[in-house]
Formats: sequence, C-alpha cells, structure tokens
Amino acid sequence: MKRSDIVAGGLFLALGIALLATGAAFPPGVGGLPGAGFFPQIIGGVTALLAGALIVNTRAGSAGSRIEIENIRHVAGALGLLCLYLLLWGTGFFVIRTAVFLLLLLTFLGQRWISAAVCSTVLTVFAYLAFDMGLNVSLE
Amino acid sequence: MLAEVLAGLLAVLDWQVLAFLCAGVCMGAVFGALPGLTATMGVAVLTPLTFWVSPEQGLAMLLGIYCGAIPAGGIPAILINVPGTPASIATSWDGYALTRKGQAGLALGINALASVTGQLASILFLSFLAFPIARFALQFGPAEYFGLALLGISLMAGVSGRHVLKGMLSGMLGLSLALVGLDPMTAYPRYTFGLSEFLDGISFIPVMIGLFGLAEVLVQVSERRAGIRSPAATIGRVIPNASECKSMLGATFSGATVGTMVGAIPAAGGDIGSVIAWEQARRTSPDKAKFGKGSLRGLAASCAACNGAIGGAMTTMLTLGIPGDAVSAVLIGALLIHGIQPGPLLFANRQSFVFSIVFLMAFASLLIMAVGILGARPLARILRVPAPWLWAGIVLFGSVGAYALNNAVADLWAMFAAGIVGFLFRKAQIPLGPLVLGLILGPMMESNLRRALILSRGDWTGMLARPILLLFLVGTVLALLWPLIQRRRATRVSGNQDASPDA
Repeated sequence: MKRSDIVAGGLFLALGIALLATGAAFPPGVGGLPGAGFFPQIIGGVTALLAGALIVNTRAGSAGSRIEIENIRHVAGALGLLCLYLLLWGTGFFVIRTAVFLLLLLTFLGQRWISAAVCSTVLTVFAYLAFDMGLNVSLE
Repeated sequence: MLAEVLAGLLAVLDWQVLAFLCAGVCMGAVFGALPGLTATMGVAVLTPLTFWVSPEQGLAMLLGIYCGAIPAGGIPAILINVPGTPASIATSWDGYALTRKGQAGLALGINALASVTGQLASILFLSFLAFPIARFALQFGPAEYFGLALLGISLMAGVSGRHVLKGMLSGMLGLSLALVGLDPMTAYPRYTFGLSEFLDGISFIPVMIGLFGLAEVLVQVSERRAGIRSPAATIGRVIPNASECKSMLGATFSGATVGTMVGAIPAAGGDIGSVIAWEQARRTSPDKAKFGKGSLRGLAASCAACNGAIGGAMTTMLTLGIPGDAVSAVLIGALLIHGIQPGPLLFANRQSFVFSIVFLMAFASLLIMAVGILGARPLARILRVPAPWLWAGIVLFGSVGAYALNNAVADLWAMFAAGIVGFLFRKAQIPLGPLVLGLILGPMMESNLRRALILSRGDWTGMLARPILLLFLVGTVLALLWPLIQRRRATRVSGNQDASPDA
C-alpha cells in the first residue's frame, strides 16, 4: 500500500539532491550576494527534506497509497498513438495524418469505425480551418 | 478615474470584443456542462486561440469561458447528479433531488439566477475593493512579494486535505521547473541542457494543457468513464415564481458573500466556497430538514457561492498577481502571453484595462442568464455526446494549441510529458495546484528574494524586521500546520467517541 508514496518520495529526494549538487556548480554571486545557484540549492534542500519526511511518514504507517491504473492497456495505447502522432509532426499532410490518428485512437477506445470516421473527419477539418486557415498557424 | 471607467467600457463595447465574449460564454457553457471537462481545462486548451487577437478580445473569450463554465457545471449536477466542475458538488445535493421530484427546469432556472447574482455580487467586490488592495500592495517591496508568493504556494499545499506533504512536494516540483532558463538576475543559463528552446524557460501554456487536458483524458480512459447517464426527458418550468424568489433571497446573498470571500483566499475556490455556503444556509434556515432533499435555499446558496468565488479569485489575481484558484492560475499565464503582468502596477498603469475586465465580467454574467435559461434544454442534450469524441477533441486541440504558441515541436513534448506527470500525480493523489502555482510564482519568488537580500546586504534578520513580511510568514506556517492540527483534533474526537459507552 505504501509503495507509491515511497517511490514518489525517492524520486523527489533524487530531484532535491540533484538540485543541490548542480546548484553548487553554478557561478557564485559577487561580493557575497546570492548567485545563480542560490535558489536551486534552497529548492533542492527543502525538496530533499520534504521527500525524506514523506518517506519516514509513510514507513511509520500514517499515510500511504498505491497507484492503481485500471485499463493500463488503453492508457498505454492512447499514449503510444499520441507519441507516434507527435513524432510525425512537421512531416506534412496534416489533414491526412491527423484524421488517421484520430480514427485509430477512437476505434482503439471502442468507437465503431463509422462513427470514428465521422468524428475524426469533423475534428480534423475544424482544427485545420481554425488554426491553419483562420489563424495562419502552419500545421504542415 | 471616470475617464478610465469610460475608456474601459468603450473598449468592451467593441462588437468584436462582445463577439469573443459571447463565443467564450457558449464554449464555457459546453465545457462546464460536460462532466470531465472543467473550466481550467477549457481556459488552458483554448488559450492558444487568443494569441492572434488583441488583449481585450482574448481576455473576453477566456473570461467568457471561465464565467460560463462555472454555472454550466451545475447543469449535469442537477440533471444526472454528476458535477460538471468541482465547484458544483454542493449544487448536486439539492439540484438532483429537485430533478427526482420532477422539477429539473426549476432547479436549472435557480442555478442560472443564483449564479448571475453570485457573479454580479463578486464583481461589485472586485470593483470596490480591488483598488484599495492594489494601493496597499504598492507598498510591498521585494521581501513582501517573496513572502506573498510563499504564502500562496503554502495555502495551496495546505488545502490539499490529507496530502499536505505531497502538496508541498508538488509545489517544489513547480518551483524546480521554474528554474529552467536564464537566471533572472545574471542571465546565466540553468538546466537548459544546451537546448535553445529552454533559454526562455518551460512554456507555461503547453504544461497547463498537459496537466489539465491530456492528464484528465488519460484518467478518464483509465477509469472508462464513457457511460454517462441520460438526463431527465422532461425539464418543466424554468423560471421560479415570486414567492420562491423571495424565499431564496437571503440564502443567495449570503452564498454570494461567502463564495466571494472564500474565492479571494489564494487556492480556495468555488468548490470549498459552495460547500461552506450550503452549510451556512442550512444552519440559518428555518427548514433545515429540507436541505439535501431539494431545498431551493440550499441550491441557491451553493450556486451563488461557486460563482461568487470567480470575482474573489479575480480580485486576488489582479491585485496581487497570486491566483485565487486553478483557473485564474491559467489566466495569469494567458495574460502574461498578452504582455499584461497582473499585480498592483496594473492598477497604477492600466486602470482602463482593469475596468474593461470588470465590464467584461458583468456582460458575461448577463449572457449567462440568457444561456442558463434559454439554453437549459440544448445544454441538457449535449450530455449525450460520447466521451471518446470529447477525448479525441481535447487531445487534438490541446496538441495544435500547444504547438501554435511558438510553432515549436518542443512545446508538444512539454505537453506530452506534463500529461504523463499529471496523470501519475492524479493517480498517486498528489495535488496539481501547487505545481502550477510553483511554476508561475517561481521566477517572482526567486528574483524578489535575491533583490531583498541585496537590499539588506545579505542580512536575513534585517528582512524579518519587516512587519508585512512577518505577517505573510506567520500565515505560511499557519497554512501548513492548520491541516495537521485539524487532523489531530479529528483523531482525538473520534478516539473519544470510540471510548464512550454509547459508541
């Protein structure tokens, strides 16, 4: 039950230590005044302290929860499709690329082909008209 | 002053500004009426659409979305017992009970009227109190601004319920992300990894779209919240009669006052305000037993409060530059993109713009009356839109909007990463609000702390001699300790009940 809080605490602790270490490498301020590493070190120190408190608190048993991701296959699939879509960004053919992405996403999420096709076409055309033609954002 | 008021009014009376306001209110109503879509998400996802228009037009649309989404959040709360936005939780308690009694139309009408009353009351608060608050804030030096930012983040972490420690860590992550880019004092590049895209820091809007748009879609996909119950087929009478209006008057105004006050507290929004107002109305009402079973007073109080919080949150945001709730946090990002820095200097240098905001909110309230009463039936119908269609729309418009900000693919990946972080945070019950606040307030905190130290020649004790800063620091400690004290008290009370022979 406590694993997720301990993992989160560990990640935040690592972040705090990293900020402390990297902050020390930044140039110091002139005349004893704070330099570029001053604030990162404060943030790093406080983060490490709070992360330590979270770990101790969780181990003591007063708090803790487990991340439960239902339908992980759907979440991972949706993220994978979006990742692929973003990787192909800028390769041209915005309308076709987007319509295919939405069609695949909608059918993957359980929509019928026909309704997915209608929805993906409408959304793609609307986005293209609004941004590319209306606002002159080059989506290609 | 009168000239500034007139200039503010004239700027708003431009037909294009009014058209953007109408569009914003309608889009906000759709976002609010659909469970799962929130005002925060609406403002975050649609902010990129405002980059190409004047600040007045852009702000008109965003304020329209904000002011339209909150009252519309009451529609699904009333019709299907599912709050459209977190602020409408208390609305469902009496609103859905009225629907079950066959009075759905009346509940929707009260929602519209009380919401407008709440918003107008909070606009009065904004009009009369914002200028004195801003004048007072003009006395703030760098040390006070640092203290204020610290208090804002602590308050948001403090209202994270049982997860105060996680809320504080979330705020620290936001502050860490705000470190990326050029050092505000020496322009030394920090955590840019040699990439020029990071020199200006992490773009705020793509992160917001990821945290509130993509993450919400992933949560809904994970929980398969695709099936939404169909609303009641018959709506019935919408306008309350004179005696009903008279009976709700006190509850409406007390709800509006409570909501405005709560909304003005950084981090406390309409969700907290409406619950407090509902409870306040119940305690002072002669018919306590009806509350939760279809009380018109309870419904009016909660609707007025969750809308009253809008003006309260805007007052804090505009005068101090500290967001009153998550939506105003996103609005700050949008204003910054339009070159407007919220804070006391806005009141000193751009008074007419402040009055434009007041008039925009007032006109939005009147539009909401029309949308709420005339659009109750059509808005009830959009509840039947399949959830995957909405998910696809949010993913597409979120992506295109994030890209449109700078025509930069890096912003798309910032949105993608923020979406995953937001999803994992939601699942691990780590609040997102402090992260957002940390990201917004980080540069302000750092530069003001360093300026204060330069002014006091590195003497920390000299800084602490400033009474306003001391007040903010005491507030910060109280904000963080209060939930712990409350929890300890609750544990003691439950322990006493367990030990009593009646238990």
